[in-house]
Amino acid sequence: MANLEIIEDEFKERDASLPRETEIKIENLCVTFPDKNGGEPIIALSNVNLEIKQGEFISLLGPSGCGKTTLLRTIANLQDQTSGDILVRGLSPREIRLQKKYGIVFQSPVLYEWRTVRRNVCMPMELLGMPKKDRTARVTKMLELVGLMEFGEKYPHELSGGMQQRVNIARALAIRPEILLMDEPFSALDEFTKEKLHEDLLKIWKKTNKTILFVTHNIQEAVYLSDRVVVLSPHPGRVSAVVDINLERPRPIAIKESQEFNALVSKVRNSFEGV
Amino acid sequence: MKKKTHFKWDKQSISTVLYPVLFGILLLILWQTQLLHKMIGADTFALPLPGRILRIIADNKSTVMKNVNATVIVAIGGLICGSLLGYLLGIIATIFPKWGVGGLSIASAISAVPIIAIAPILNNLTKDFSNDASTRSMLAKTIVVTITCTVSMSINAYRGLNELKPFSLDLMKSFAASKVTTFIKLRIPNSVPYIFTALRVSVPASIISALVSEYFAEFIIGVGRQIRENIVLAQYATAWAYIVVACAIGIMMYGILLVAEGILLKGRK
Repeated sequence: MANLEIIEDEFKERDASLPRETEIKIENLCVTFPDKNGGEPIIALSNVNLEIKQGEFISLLGPSGCGKTTLLRTIANLQDQTSGDILVRGLSPREIRLQKKYGIVFQSPVLYEWRTVRRNVCMPMELLGMPKKDRTARVTKMLELVGLMEFGEKYPHELSGGMQQRVNIARALAIRPEILLMDEPFSALDEFTKEKLHEDLLKIWKKTNKTILFVTHNIQEAVYLSDRVVVLSPHPGRVSAVVDINLERPRPIAIKESQEFNALVSKVRNSFEGV
Repeated sequence: MKKKTHFKWDKQSISTVLYPVLFGILLLILWQTQLLHKMIGADTFALPLPGRILRIIADNKSTVMKNVNATVIVAIGGLICGSLLGYLLGIIATIFPKWGVGGLSIASAISAVPIIAIAPILNNLTKDFSNDASTRSMLAKTIVVTITCTVSMSINAYRGLNELKPFSLDLMKSFAASKVTTFIKLRIPNSVPYIFTALRVSVPASIISALVSEYFAEFIIGVGRQIRENIVLAQYATAWAYIVVACAIGIMMYGILLVAEGILLKGRK
C-alpha cells in the first residue's frame, strides 16, 4: 500500500561502504520519579548506556514497568533526566526537540477530531509556519505515502484504528524529522493490520533512511523490525541485553517461520532478568 | 450502509420529534373540546381555550412584540455577557490552575443562590445607574441573566480547555509549540463541544431568569412581567397568551442553538 515513488526527493539510501555516524549517545542515564506518598523515589531507569547509529532501527523491548516508554520520552525531551547524559547529534534532547527533528508516534493516534485527515497531517507544518502551498503539496505526498489518498476529507472517527495510526505516521513524517520515535504504535491493532503496517513501516524506513526508535512489548515484532533489540528489565528499569538481529533485509513475512528467526526470539526472551 | 444509517435516523426522529408532537396535538384537541377542563375540574375562565389565546396574541401583535423584544434583548444580552465572562474565567483558571480550581468551586457555590433572591437586590444596586427607569431596569435584569449564565459556562469551559486526549499535550510539546499556540490550536478547539454543553443549560436558563427578573424590575415591560400583571388583574386569557409566547421564545432559541451545534460540531463524534 505504501507508495514510495512519491517521496523520491527524500530518498537518502545509504552508501553501505560509509561508516554510520552516531545519532544518539546515552551515558549512565538515570530517571527517578518522586513517590507521591512521600516514600522512596521510584527508579524508572538506572544507569542506561546505549549508542544508536544514524539510520538504525532500534526496538526498546520489555514488560510493563521496565522504563522503555520513559527512555523514549526522555530522549524526546518530554521527561527530564535525573542524572547522566543524552546527546543527540551532539546536542541535548531539548535542542533537538526545539529544532523539530523528532517525529513522535504515540500509542493512541491523538488525532484532532475537529480536523479532517488532511488538516491533521497539516497541523505540525502550520506550527512550523510553512507556506500554505507547500503544506498542501506535502500533505498530498504524505497521504499517498501511507495509502490514504481518498480519505483526506474524512474526519478521524470515520476511519478504522489502522487508518488512524497511518494518519498519525503521516503527520509524524510531515515535517521531515530525522529521528522517528514510536511508542507501541501498533499495540492496539489487530494482527492483520499490524503485519501490513510493519511491512509499510520497513519500506518507508528503508527509503527515507531515518533513525527509528520503536517501543514494544511484543518480542516477535521487535525481532522482525529491528537491527538491534534493546532488552529492558524492570525493578529498577535497566538495559539487560542488546541483541543484534542479523536477519537479511528485506524481510518477507515468511521469515517469521524460519529457524533463524525463532532462535533470535528465544535469545531475546532468555535475556530478560527478574521477570 | 448509507441507507441503513439513514433509516436508523428516521426511526430515531420518530421517537424524538413525532411522538411529542402527536402528544401535543392530542392535548390541544382535549383542551379545545373542553374535555381537559372536565378531567382536571377547571373552567374556561382560568384555563381559556387555545383558540381564544391565539386570537389575543393576533389582536395585540404590536404590544406582544414590544414585550417580546424587551425579554429577548435581556435574555440574549445576558447570555452573551455571561458566556463570555464564563469562558474568560475558564481560561484564567486554566492559566493559573492553583487559584483557578478554587475559584471555580466558588463559582458553583454562587450558582446555588436563587435568582429570585438576587433580583430585588440588583434592582436596588443599579438604581443610580441611569435616570431612565427603563434603562436601569434593563441593566438589573441583564445582570441577573449574566450571573446565571456565567457559572455553567465557566465550569464547562474549564473542562473543555483541560480534558484533553492523552498525549495531545505531549504531541504539542514535540512540535515545540508555545503555550499560546497550544491554546489556539488545541485547547480552544477542544472546548467547543463543552461550550455547547454549557449553552444547552444556559439558553433555557437565560430565558427563565429574564422572565423572573422582570417580576421584580422597576419598569413594567417584558413577557414575564405581563404574565404577572395580567394574573393580578384576573385577565387569565391574556396571561395565557404571554405564557404561550414565553414558551415560543424558549423553543425558538433552543432550536437555533441546536442548528448552530449541528453545523459547528460537524465531524465530531
